[in-house]
Formats: sequence, structure tokens, C-alpha cells
Amino acid sequence: MAIHRRRIYILPTRFGLMLAGLLVAMLIASLNYSSNLALAFAFLLVGVALVAMHHCHRNLLALSVDVGAETDAFAGGEACFEFVLRNASRVERSDLQVRIAKDAQSLTSVPGNTYGRVTVCVPVARRGVSRFNQFELRSDHPFGWFRAWTYVQASLTAYVAPVARGERALPAAASAAGRALRAQTRGDEEFSGLRAYQPGVSLKHMAWKVLARGGEPMLRSYSGLAADPEWLDWSALEGLETEARLSQLCRWVLDSDAAQRPYGLRIPGAEFAPACGLEHRSACLRALAGYAIEASQ
Amino acid sequence: MTAPRGAAQPVAFARLAWLCACLGLALIPHLRALPVWVLATVAACVALRLFRAAHGRPAPPRLIRAAVAVLAIGLLFLQFRTFNGLAAGTALLSLVAGLKVLETQARRDIHILALIVYFLSLAALLHADSFWLLAYLTALLWITTATLLQLSGAARTVDWRKGWRYAGRILAQAAPLALVLWLLFPRFAEPLWQTPSDGRAATGLSDSMSPGDIDDLAQSDEVAFRVHFVSAVPPPRERYWRGPVLHEFDGHTWRRTDSGPARAPPLLPEGPGYQYTLNIEANQHNWIFVLDWPSSWDLSRAMLTGDYMLVQPNPISQPIDIVATSYTHVRAALPLSAGMRWRDTQLPADRNPRTLELAQQLRRAHPDDMGYVQAVLDLFAQQEFFYTLTPPRLAQNSVDEFLFDTKRGFCGHYASAFAMLMRAAGIPARVVTGYQGGTYNRFAGYWIVRQSSAHAWDEIWIEGHGWLRIDPTTAVAPQRIEPGLSDLNSAEDHVSGWRHLPWLADLRLRMDALRQLWRDRILKYDEGAQLKLLGYLRIPQPDGQKLVMLMAGALSLVLGLLAWQIRRELLPAPSDPLVRSFNRLCTKLASAGMARLQHEGAEAYAARIADARPDLAAATELCRRYSELRYGESPADAAQFAAAVRAFKPQDSRAS
Repeated sequence: MAIHRRRIYILPTRFGLMLAGLLVAMLIASLNYSSNLALAFAFLLVGVALVAMHHCHRNLLALSVDVGAETDAFAGGEACFEFVLRNASRVERSDLQVRIAKDAQSLTSVPGNTYGRVTVCVPVARRGVSRFNQFELRSDHPFGWFRAWTYVQASLTAYVAPVARGERALPAAASAAGRALRAQTRGDEEFSGLRAYQPGVSLKHMAWKVLARGGEPMLRSYSGLAADPEWLDWSALEGLETEARLSQLCRWVLDSDAAQRPYGLRIPGAEFAPACGLEHRSACLRALAGYAIEASQ
Repeated sequence: MTAPRGAAQPVAFARLAWLCACLGLALIPHLRALPVWVLATVAACVALRLFRAAHGRPAPPRLIRAAVAVLAIGLLFLQFRTFNGLAAGTALLSLVAGLKVLETQARRDIHILALIVYFLSLAALLHADSFWLLAYLTALLWITTATLLQLSGAARTVDWRKGWRYAGRILAQAAPLALVLWLLFPRFAEPLWQTPSDGRAATGLSDSMSPGDIDDLAQSDEVAFRVHFVSAVPPPRERYWRGPVLHEFDGHTWRRTDSGPARAPPLLPEGPGYQYTLNIEANQHNWIFVLDWPSSWDLSRAMLTGDYMLVQPNPISQPIDIVATSYTHVRAALPLSAGMRWRDTQLPADRNPRTLELAQQLRRAHPDDMGYVQAVLDLFAQQEFFYTLTPPRLAQNSVDEFLFDTKRGFCGHYASAFAMLMRAAGIPARVVTGYQGGTYNRFAGYWIVRQSSAHAWDEIWIEGHGWLRIDPTTAVAPQRIEPGLSDLNSAEDHVSGWRHLPWLADLRLRMDALRQLWRDRILKYDEGAQLKLLGYLRIPQPDGQKLVMLMAGALSLVLGLLAWQIRRELLPAPSDPLVRSFNRLCTKLASAGMARLQHEGAEAYAARIADARPDLAAATELCRRYSELRYGESPADAAQFAAAVRAFKPQDSRAS
């Protein structure tokens, strides 16, 4: 949705206020010395300031912003949202700043008839689901004398998974697969062939050489990958407190995902059947993030 | 691409260097007014900071900066004893700018530096009247503003071309606003506070005359003032422009004694009067040059002194126009007062003894006043006196040396010697300085009186007539006064001849006419001119209030237009005629119930039309052709396509 002009606010910055003070001084000096040339110069600067105000306002006008509404993060890290700023005019939009919070802002410029991507990362300390109802788009283009800003209503959700932490071995480690797992994580020795590309699979497994030769995107297969699906189970972690359990589960999810082993997740209130891939991983992590927690802002 | 932002962001070298260049350019008009050490300090600060910046180092430590600041500002105060006034203020501002450069670290400092550059530019204009200076400083405004444009955090690379263009466009858009404000913003009738002349040197004649003073002026091409005669123009030999009248003589220098607010004794006009308008430039003197002898003028605060000098209370610091009337032939109505007679016959007894002796000799031979005057003039005419712009230097007994030894002099020498000879014989005499002659500007119908026309002559009191003007220089160099040769310089060798090429002289006159137009329309634009403008716009009973209302209205209108124009640039303008034609086709199809979807390309659209509306086969064909013309390799014939689109008339199937 393009930004409407009534939704754009504008105020002078501190440099703008300094300039205003200077202009008043200039005006009084010119009038007192009754110097028409000095007056002309002062008025030219007044004109520049007024024009700059309109340019500042226009800089946000009729832009449209799309944002990836959901994002994943880990506690203690950053939740990054990607914004796409579409500029349908032929005028360049300079110095656009997207802000979600005070410490979460990014700057970009979008040339005419193109779009620009900007990523804004919010630091997230705790596990949970962080929601933001709006973000701010601001600019002090062209001279930094004025600042125009607008609030864009959007529901941004960051699923903050727990920190992946925990000493316990994967449930599968109990089986003989343990040795195989160690072998797999060591390297490519047990390469067993190529299979079709699947979105979300770790780039480590991409068959880059095939791609470079102009072939289809393929994945390198490793022996032992077709292990039995394992269940990452909440109830297997008796004796740990909730957050520690979640962290351990998170660790397991990431490990299994990295090893491209099908895994299922079972926590109270939710169960994910064993599967592979990015979507599955994301769903599991979000379930961990949102476990027994009210959405916070 | 998250970027740290705000005050802490360091300033790139290129931007700092540019702003330093702007500062340098802003200081150029102040070069003559600023003490040399201030300039040196600023230059040193800039050099030091740029050197450090070029090596990627930050500003010097705070202690050094503070020490330099305290030292420099203390010195400045010692020199000026005040920070008030334009000269001291400008010097202070320049120093602050230099110190600011020294500590420039962040975006904030650059902003402040830019503001200082703006104010220095304005300060240069406060006393200026030159179009070129305004143009120069406007260009500087452009450069400085373009530099500010490069301060943004997003610009990774500095694209100067784009910055210039953008700043130029903003300046162009600001121009109409500035024009409206300049035309209609109310001016002060009187200044809020008296502005000191700020050490602005007075130009032209001063109120004392030593041998050699006028010689310097005689080589100056500067314009002293300009005159429009309303109807009749006095003959050349009567064009004496009266300035300071000098009474006190110490054997070397003539000075003006302050005669107090004595009223001018009345004069009886003989012969025609001349009415004229004087255009006087700011010269920081409080006297006004008028045609001998002034009788009326339209400046209420000016008054005529006892020796017929037109003076006003304050020095002329703004160009002014005065309408005055003068009579070139007058007679005194009252006898000379004893005080004035005493004052104008005083001589230092111990100076110029040979002259005193000569006067006594001559006086014995010519007891009659007029006979004595003639004898002195004959002396000048018949002896080997030479009129020259470069006379030898004279010491204390200047008249003796001139009359008996060097015999070479300029008008001042002759006037001085003549007045002394008169006084020595008991005839009241005084020296009058001013201008003689003038150049006619036939392109604009006015007379230009240049500094090179500066002149000195005498006035003596003749019983039964009154003050009589005697110009002893004519006895030696009649061409100085005679018509046709009024420009003395043509006879002198040391002034090169190039100025006297006819076409060049014409060009100079035309330039002067332009300059005059600039003065009348721009420099002298004031409250009266504003009210006249209101009258021109048919606004009944123009006054200050209506002026403000008109300004508010005009300003809103221009701002509205500007806002519209600035916003209009956002509209995607399909400048390609092919695209325009295609859009027209789409509109036609939309009205036929087959609107193009926003995401739909021409080919997809054509396919959909062919599918859904076989009756619009022509449109399908046109869409495909558009696609071919626009993206294909064959050269696009936009006109043919436009004609085809125009010819296309869709039939709305729902209607038929």
C-alpha cells in the first residue's frame, strides 16, 4: 500500500532549528542595514529551506513497503525482518530509514522505478513470540533540516526460539547409528550419489559442481542419511526444567536438521510428524518458541 | 546494510575538504576587512585538519583545540576591543569557523560549518552593492548546499554530479519564493539600531586638502555620483559640484573648521535655476555634493551650512536620491559678517614667507580687489606654470615651494596658492573642493561625475557682489574646464589610451546605464517602491498592512504551486509515445469491458482477449504489435501505431 500524504508527519530537526535561528538573524541584520542584496540572499536561503521541506515530505510520498511478516530468531540474537521499498516514480528516494525500535533501524536509498531491500534486525533477548504492530519509515533527506516520518501498520512477528543448548545426546545416539552420525559429520567420505534438490536443505549438501556445469540443482547424498525417523520427545527429558528442556530440544532439532535426518517433535500440546526441510524445521522451532507463552510485544 | 548513524558518524575526507573550500570561498569577499593573522589562523586550522583527515586521523585533542580557541579569541578582543559591529563580528565568525574545522568530527560539525558559511556570505553583502558579488555568493550557496546533500548516511559513494543537479534544482525552485518575499516583505523605514560604519573607508574627497590629495583621486575611475537634469543643463563652465569648504590653513594643509549650525546667509538668484536629481552612492561622508549654489532640496534632514555646504546628520551609508535646485549665478543679500571675514583672512604668519612678500608687492601695484585678482591669475597664466597630475612632493612651506621652485601642480596647488595670496592681501578667501564637469551618458540621459573630476577652486568675497568663484586652474589649463576637453586625462600621457576607443567608451557608458538601473530598481527598492508596486496592482489605498496580506497570499500561492510541482514529479510519466498509445488502447478496451490487469503483460493480455472476446480480434492484434514494436528488434514506428490505436473502435458486447 502506498503511503498517503496525510499519513506523513514532518518536523524540523535540530539542524533545522539552528537554520531557522540563523535565518532570523540574517533577516534582522539585512533589514537593519537595509541591504537589499543581503535580504535577497537571506530570502533565497529561506526559499531553499521551504523547498527542502517539500522535498523531505515527498521523499516518503507514494512509496510502498512490503515486509516479510514473520521471521525466526534465537534468543540472544537478532530477529531480522526484510522490507521491500517500492518506488514507482522516476524520482530517487534517498536516505530512507526503516525503524522498528530505537535500536533497530536501517538506511537505504531507492532509485527511480526500482525497489530496494532493507533488513532491520531487532535484538531479542528472550525466547518467545515478539509482535510489532507497526514500523516507522523516516527520512531527513535532502539536507537534514527536516525529518519526515510515517507509521506503517503491519503485524510483524518474530518467533524467538530458545537458545540451542544442552548436553544430552540425541535419542538416536543410543542406537548403533551413533557411530554413523559421527562419520557423517566428519565429511564427504561416505558420499553415495546425487538426488533431486529440495528447498531448505543445507547448502553444505549442494552439488555445486553439477550446478556449475550447467546441470540441475542437485544434492549430494550420503550413506546413512536414510536412517529411521527419530522422535525428539519432551518426555524424554525428564528432570530438566522447562527452558532447559526447550533449549535441548532446539539443539536436537538443529542437529538433526543439519544432518538431514528426518525427525519428529513432540511437546505438550503439539506434535510434528517426522519430516525434513526448512518448513518443518521452522514449524518445530516456532512451536518451541511459542511453548506456553503469551505473545509479547 | 545497517549503518551506524547520527552524531558519531565520522565525516569523510571529501566532504570535509569541500566544506573547507566553501569556507575559503566565503572568506574571499572579506579578505580586505579581516586582520591578516585571523586569515592565517583559519588557514592553519584548515590545513592541519585536512592533513589529519587525509591520513585518516581524527581531530586534534581537545586541549589543543581549547588553547587555540582561547588564544585566538583573546587576541581578537585585544585588537577590536569589542565583538559588536560588522568588522569584529565577521572576524570572530571567521575564527569560529576555523576552530570548528579544527574540531570537525561528526555530521553536526559540518552542519554548523555550513551555517557559518551562509552567514559569512550574508555579512559580505550587508555593505555591498555589486551584482557580481551577489551572483558569486549565490553560486557559493549552491556549492555549500550541494555539499550538505552529500552528508547523508546512505550515500556510500559521493556522487557530485547528481548532488550539483539536485541542489541546483532546489535553488531554482527556491527562486520564486525568494522573489515574492523580497518584493513584498516589509522594510524598516528606520533601522532598529544605528549601524556603525564599521571602519568602512570613506570614499572620495575628504574634509581636508593637502597638496597631492586630489591627484590620487584624479586617477580613479570610480563614480562619485550621477545627475539627471530635469530640463535645462548648465553650460560646462558652470558645472561646479560643491563639496567641503575649507577655511583653516596651516601653510601646508587646508582644513574645514566646524562652523556649527550657522544658517546660510540668503542669496539672490541671478539667471536661471536648474533642477536635477542626484544619485549618490554610499560614501560614508555626511555632506552632499550639489551644483553651486543650492537653493532647495527634498531631503528634510539635510541643511545648508553658513558656507553653503549641504550636510546631513549621519554619514551616507546607503545610496540615496535627492532632488535639488541650484542657481549658477547668485549675489549675496547681506554683507559678510565680521566673524566670517576674520576666519577667511587668517594665515600662519611664519609660513610661506616668500609668498607673503609677493602678495605685498602685487597689492601695492593693485589696490583694487579685482585688479589684484587679475594680476594673480595673470601670474599663473604668464609664468612657466605647468598643470600636471604628478607634481613633485612639497614640504611645510608648500605654497612657497610651489610658486617659486617647482611650478608644477594640480588644481589643489593652484587653489591653495591663490587663496593664500588673496588672504595675504586682506581679501577673504576660502578653498572649495568638489567636482567639476561630468560625462554625459547618452544611452540613459544622465551625467556621470567620476572621482577623476575631483577639483578644487576658490571663493573670494568681493564687496557689493558677495562670494565670487575663482578657478585659478583655468588660468593654467583652460582645457580642464572648457567643453569638449573636459576629460583631462586624454591630454596626459600616463593614462593609457585604450579607454578612449570610442566603442569601448560606449560600452562603458552602457554598462554604467545598466549599473544605474540595478541601483534604482534593486539597491534602492524600499517601502515607497513597494507601495508603488501595490498601486500598480490596482490595490486601493496601499499601506503596510495590505503589503503583508499580499505577501501572505502570494507566498501561499507560490508554495502551493511548488508543492504541486514537486509532488507531480512522482507521477510516472510515460514519456514514450508508444507507451502512451498502448495506454490509450488499454483505456479503450477497459471501457469495452476488457480491462488490463495490473500484472498483465501485453502478450498475456492479448491472449486473454483472444480467449474471452473473439469480437475484439483487432485489439489482440494491436497488443501483439505493441509487444513487437516495444521489445522486438524492428525499429518502432510509434506514429503508425498511434494511428492504428486511434482508428480502433471497440464494440461493447454487453451494450450491443
